Amino acid sequence: MRPHSSLKQEFLKEWIKGLQRCSFPKKSILERKKAIKLSADIAMASARNGTTCWSRALISSAAKDGSDNNHLVKQILGPESDRPAVENKAPARQASVCKKILKRSCRIRRRGRRKCGAAAAPSSIAKHLVKKRRQILRSLIPGGEFMNEICLIEETLDYITSLRVQVDVMRSLATASVRGTE
Amino acid sequence: MLHRLESLKSCTYDRMDMTVPERQAARLKWQQQNHVVQNNNPVELCASSGSVPRFQGLVGSNLGSGQMVELKRLEVFLGTDNFQEFLNFPVTGPEFGDSEKLDLLPPEAAADYCISRTSSCQMTALDTAVMKEEREDMVLEKMESTIVSGRGSFNKRKAETVADHKSKDKRIKGEGEGESEVKTKCSTEISRNSSKENSKASEVQKPDYIHVRARRGQATDSHSLAERARREKLSKKMKCLQDLVPGCNKITGKAGMLDEIINYVQSLQRQVEFLSMKIAALNSSVENLPTKEFPAIVANFPAAAKLPEMAGLPCFQLNPLQKESVNCMLNESMHPPQTEGIASASVSISEQSLSSSSMTQLQPFSTWNMDPQGLYNMYNMGFH
Repeated sequence: MRPHSSLKQEFLKEWIKGLQRCSFPKKSILERKKAIKLSADIAMASARNGTTCWSRALISSAAKDGSDNNHLVKQILGPESDRPAVENKAPARQASVCKKILKRSCRIRRRGRRKCGAAAAPSSIAKHLVKKRRQILRSLIPGGEFMNEICLIEETLDYITSLRVQVDVMRSLATASVRGTE
Repeated sequence: MLHRLESLKSCTYDRMDMTVPERQAARLKWQQQNHVVQNNNPVELCASSGSVPRFQGLVGSNLGSGQMVELKRLEVFLGTDNFQEFLNFPVTGPEFGDSEKLDLLPPEAAADYCISRTSSCQMTALDTAVMKEEREDMVLEKMESTIVSGRGSFNKRKAETVADHKSKDKRIKGEGEGESEVKTKCSTEISRNSSKENSKASEVQKPDYIHVRARRGQATDSHSLAERARREKLSKKMKCLQDLVPGCNKITGKAGMLDEIINYVQSLQRQVEFLSMKIAALNSSVENLPTKEFPAIVANFPAAAKLPEMAGLPCFQLNPLQKESVNCMLNESMHPPQTEGIASASVSISEQSLSSSSMTQLQPFSTWNMDPQGLYNMYNMGFH
């Protein structure tokens, strides 16, 4: 695992850059919060430099054309040239993987219906539980729907460390701001 | 491993009506020994270890015609000493039936193995027995994977290493095996039995080669091997996750672990939301939020160099606090030179702007004191 301090520094650097780039809308606190969170997320994802699946998925989902905070994202991402490449790769891959997943899920659904009657065995119940939880985990992790199980666990590991870093940095900033006001 | 077997006592298997070949094998023994057995404590027997006493049990339960040849071979393989001890173990079928039915399985397997090994002119009945045994093993595995591994290890763990354990071949479809393989099985069988019974059993030399074979009680096709490798990978990763996620040490089992992981990820995501809200609230009045605070934080990256310069600034009162927090958070003793460069550049620019605007910026903060408190409460409550 990467050392936390370097990750924190990287994250902070990226976050600052992102925040500086986006013009702070003074309208409402929610807007600001959205901007802050978004920039933090993108900073976190870019700190990984596209090595992990979730980071790419996060950036691509944030930069989708249909999303409402698109302009913010564009601002934050700025003129970096590698971003479009990342974005372009992800959707195509996602589309193809999507189809596979759909097929798989249809098959599983059919199998599941057939199995419903014989679900009394403890092992099958356990498997069912585990599967359910895996589904939930997939929904939590950005880009999780496109991963197989091993990938999912790896990405979860990485995602958790990044989240921790993010939380730590934000918390220190918040406390610093609070102390600054006193 | 033994306690695992004991735990399986509760499982009831209809094993007392043993398959024909097993009965035949039992009969062989009986004929040979002519009722030279005494009843010992079955529990003891189970505890002592398996396959040999079990075999005795099998023997005891059925009498029938047997073949001297097979017995002789068995003797050879097992060693006469062991065989003697065979005889001394308790016998009667029903007793065995009560105690540890599951224990019947490994010994039956052992019996089958023995028998299959002993005779090359194998009866088809024994073949089927072996096949059935394999099937049963697979069923067993599905029911309790740990038991299977426990069984295999129960057979071997005392004496053998993992390599040996793995080399124990499950592909015993009866005869037709190469001589070397027979020898391997032989030695494994013997060493197994010896480990079972007494440590004083004669040690057969280990095979020269080590196959990566399917473990005992598991299928051998490539799919299941790959599946098993995948599962092991998964479990390794789950262990890593266990270290990462707090409170996962006591939880065993995938579902519980996944539950904890999900909860943790959700809580972290919620924290991020709260914190971003808090920061937004705290700094809502400041237009130049980034330029105000962050450069100060960034300036702390080069810990020693810039501090004296920062000290001279009017916005210095913020800096120590931020310095502290950043010091705590970043644990900075070493900073990459690039960050220093960037930091110094940005700091020099922003310092000038800050020095002029700091006074005006500080004042609005006082009006926001309530909000941070409210946010703090929200923040704290959200995690209880």
